[in-house]
Amino acid sequence: MSGGPSPRVRLSEEKLARAALTYLAEPGDPALGALLTICSPAEVLAAIKADMLPGAGPGCGDTPASRAALDRALSRWRARLPDLPDDERIAGICRDGVGLTCPGDAGWPDALDQLGRARPYALWVRGRTDLRFACSRSVSMVGSRAATSYGGHVAGEIAADLGERGWAVVSGGAYGIDAAAHRGALAAEAVTIAVLACGVDYPYPAGHADLFAAIAAQGLVVSEWPPGRHPARTRFLVRNRVIAALGCGTVIVEAGERSGALNTARHAANLGKPLMAVPGPVTSAQSAGCHRIIREWGASCVTRAADIIELLSPLSTPDALAPGGAPDVLAPARPSRPDPGAGRGPSRDDLDPDSARVLDALPTRGGAGTSTIAVEAGVDLDTVLRCLGRLAGYGFIERCDRGWRLCKP
Amino acid sequence: MPLARTYSVALIGVTGHVVEVEADIANGLVGMILVGLPDTALREARDRIRAAITNSREEWPQRKITVGLSPASLPKRGSWFDLAIAIGILAAAGKVPRAAAAGVMCFGELGLDGRLRPVRGVLPAVARAAEEGFGKVMVAAQNAAEAALVPGVRVIAADSLTEAVDWLRGVPGCDGHPAAVEYQGGQDLPGHRGPGGKAASNGDAQAARPGVAMAPDLAELLGQSMARRAAEVCAAGGHHLSLLGPPGAGKTMLAERIPTILPRLDRAAAFEVTAIHSVAGNLPAQVPLLEDPPFLAPHHTATKAAIVGGGSGVIRPGSASLAHRGVLFLDEAPEFARDVLDALRQPLEAGEVVVARSGVTARFPARFTLVLASNPCPCARVAGPSEGCSCSPATRRRYLGRISGPLIDRVDVKIELEPVSRKELLSDRNFSESSLTVARRVAQARERTAHRLQGTPWRLNGEVPGSALRRTWPPAPGSLAVLERSLERGLITARGVVKVVRVAWTLADLAGRPRPTRDDCDAALGLWLGVRR
Repeated sequence: MSGGPSPRVRLSEEKLARAALTYLAEPGDPALGALLTICSPAEVLAAIKADMLPGAGPGCGDTPASRAALDRALSRWRARLPDLPDDERIAGICRDGVGLTCPGDAGWPDALDQLGRARPYALWVRGRTDLRFACSRSVSMVGSRAATSYGGHVAGEIAADLGERGWAVVSGGAYGIDAAAHRGALAAEAVTIAVLACGVDYPYPAGHADLFAAIAAQGLVVSEWPPGRHPARTRFLVRNRVIAALGCGTVIVEAGERSGALNTARHAANLGKPLMAVPGPVTSAQSAGCHRIIREWGASCVTRAADIIELLSPLSTPDALAPGGAPDVLAPARPSRPDPGAGRGPSRDDLDPDSARVLDALPTRGGAGTSTIAVEAGVDLDTVLRCLGRLAGYGFIERCDRGWRLCKP
Repeated sequence: MPLARTYSVALIGVTGHVVEVEADIANGLVGMILVGLPDTALREARDRIRAAITNSREEWPQRKITVGLSPASLPKRGSWFDLAIAIGILAAAGKVPRAAAAGVMCFGELGLDGRLRPVRGVLPAVARAAEEGFGKVMVAAQNAAEAALVPGVRVIAADSLTEAVDWLRGVPGCDGHPAAVEYQGGQDLPGHRGPGGKAASNGDAQAARPGVAMAPDLAELLGQSMARRAAEVCAAGGHHLSLLGPPGAGKTMLAERIPTILPRLDRAAAFEVTAIHSVAGNLPAQVPLLEDPPFLAPHHTATKAAIVGGGSGVIRPGSASLAHRGVLFLDEAPEFARDVLDALRQPLEAGEVVVARSGVTARFPARFTLVLASNPCPCARVAGPSEGCSCSPATRRRYLGRISGPLIDRVDVKIELEPVSRKELLSDRNFSESSLTVARRVAQARERTAHRLQGTPWRLNGEVPGSALRRTWPPAPGSLAVLERSLERGLITARGVVKVVRVAWTLADLAGRPRPTRDDCDAALGLWLGVRR
């Protein structure tokens, strides 16, 4: 095929072919995935247009059964040929703020290659952020659309915390947990990626049009489906494997027994990625799915961003990144932390002498009043108040009905 | 032309409006007509004035008398135009020089026998008269000290209509009547304690306060060091305070001692406070100028009108306004009616109460320090192993939930008082300080705050909104480390951080530091975490 490049946007022949394939075949089509392992996209497109199967390869058309399956697929794809936009038109779409990322591109995330034959043919992208870089430190966070206020709160808080520590949040752009996760990351001015089950220019749900615009401005809206394609029930399930693949791990915040989020969790588990779930009230039907995957699938129970980061970066401490800090590779020589207060919290050894004395003055069992502690520690009232505030802030002590007492370690 | 003019002031709230009283005597049916939106008490003035004039051995004109009060649109209430109307009638009848009558502003109620009785709200009315350029005011003798507080006016104190008329005629006391006495406003009167010089902002003024030895003292609150510190912070920063604790822990005791550590009011504030109390009619007779910060402790059965002000006829200030520049203490706060508590939200926000009635809107200043005291549960039994409180957790939550979120949200300092153990009592002996010591620190802290807040609408740290705090006065860098840690651990919310920083500013002012350091922020956090949540 000629593939006449547009004067402004130059698309290679392979890219144009991959774009065309997203129009012709439903994403995740195993027949096309298999075919692409033995032929180039341009060859496959030419074969579809010519209604002639290309040569067989291992696992593709080498048995009568798979040959028949390929035949059926070919007629399926050919049925959409009349609606296929010409190359000029596809190049035009790529001019309108929508991009196309293909395997082999600099921006293609390697994580998607783990999907094997189910790997997307190409990804349509809205937004200027580098997808590959964003996915190098990313967490997929999904959950129920009918989220409770608890779930929405937790998802937003964790997403914002992750964002502050330089992690991107991947989700599906649906109502409920997905939206809370996106908004949390946006609030932290971090990158967030919405993976849609329709064209990137088609806001579904319509109520999230503004949200998608905000995500595109600060992060990315991506889809396997070409612009203009409408969502369908089954497409969400197909899409979920991309959400699971794009994150370094997947967190389920709230999911009912039959939630689509569990489908994403299944994909993550199949990909061998860390699977995590945020627990909820045992009485809440909205958290039943979370509890089940903890119990049956061995998902890790996480309650805050630090837990997630710890699981996803086992070789570095979770606090290697201060809020808003740059990745380790960019800052190899981090100055030593001057303040023991930030991060994980200090040990007894990090305390200033007054606070250490006040901490020692607390009885090992039961509580003591403020003045008693002051006398015991030999400090004045101002000092004891300041030290008590510091110690309580660090979590060494807490308030009790007799005054202050030591926290259980 | 048988027409005469006198002047008086109508008060709406604590705002005065000059009223022109015109009296006209014409041929017609004998009688008197009063026009210009008078209320019932003012309509009755007709009979009162007639009796007073007759009983003062003056002649009542046997013709048609029309008295007009203008501006006519302003509602005029009460009896205190009596004197102005009586003098107007006498001037119209030619018994009193018209020019003299028009040159003096008159306030006072007349008795049937011609005696001049005191009225409420003289201070704001005279102040208004002075602003309008009236040099002379005539008041009842009992109101003279109050009226004389206003500088730049000559106060004519008369005991009766006869004295007033004699003064206007220029006749010195004759017929065995004593003459009306003149005072120059803004000077001390005999029997008047004196306005205490300039701003009483140094602690030595405190020592001169009479009766301090008998007064309650903060040092008596042994065993509650955190609570004492909290009271000091609230006094210095104008922060609202919430006290939670079982009966007998010392909540009321603490609240009653807060006025002992507040600095005396400066001249301007004393004027505002005295004006409100004058309108309310509860100014002590011997003390014309209130210089001690007021302390108001309304009972929990109080109505909304009693707390924020109101009333169908004359609009009276409520406890919130009477506590202006002082302390409003709501003991057993959850027992107050919910709508009463919620009515406090607007004054807490705006610093004034706006009472709207048909035709008039009265404004009363109401910038007070709110102190709430609550028992942890309705049964109010001390929780302990032996005498258990039988309230269920839900009951307790509901009880404290009666104080609505938006109200408790404006409270910067919350303190939980626990029953004091013997050991704590003994230990605390080392730390208790007298009210005098604390008051000195508070006064100095307030001076520092005022200096820093120059050119802003605020005077105290507690009044500064969170946004301004963040923008203009951030604490020293690095001082929020522990706060951030607590935020991460969920010990405190973002909203709580703003309050802690606000309190940290007051602690810095108390310690004389230019801005809060890490120590101040941690101490403020300690106060904040002093309540189990």
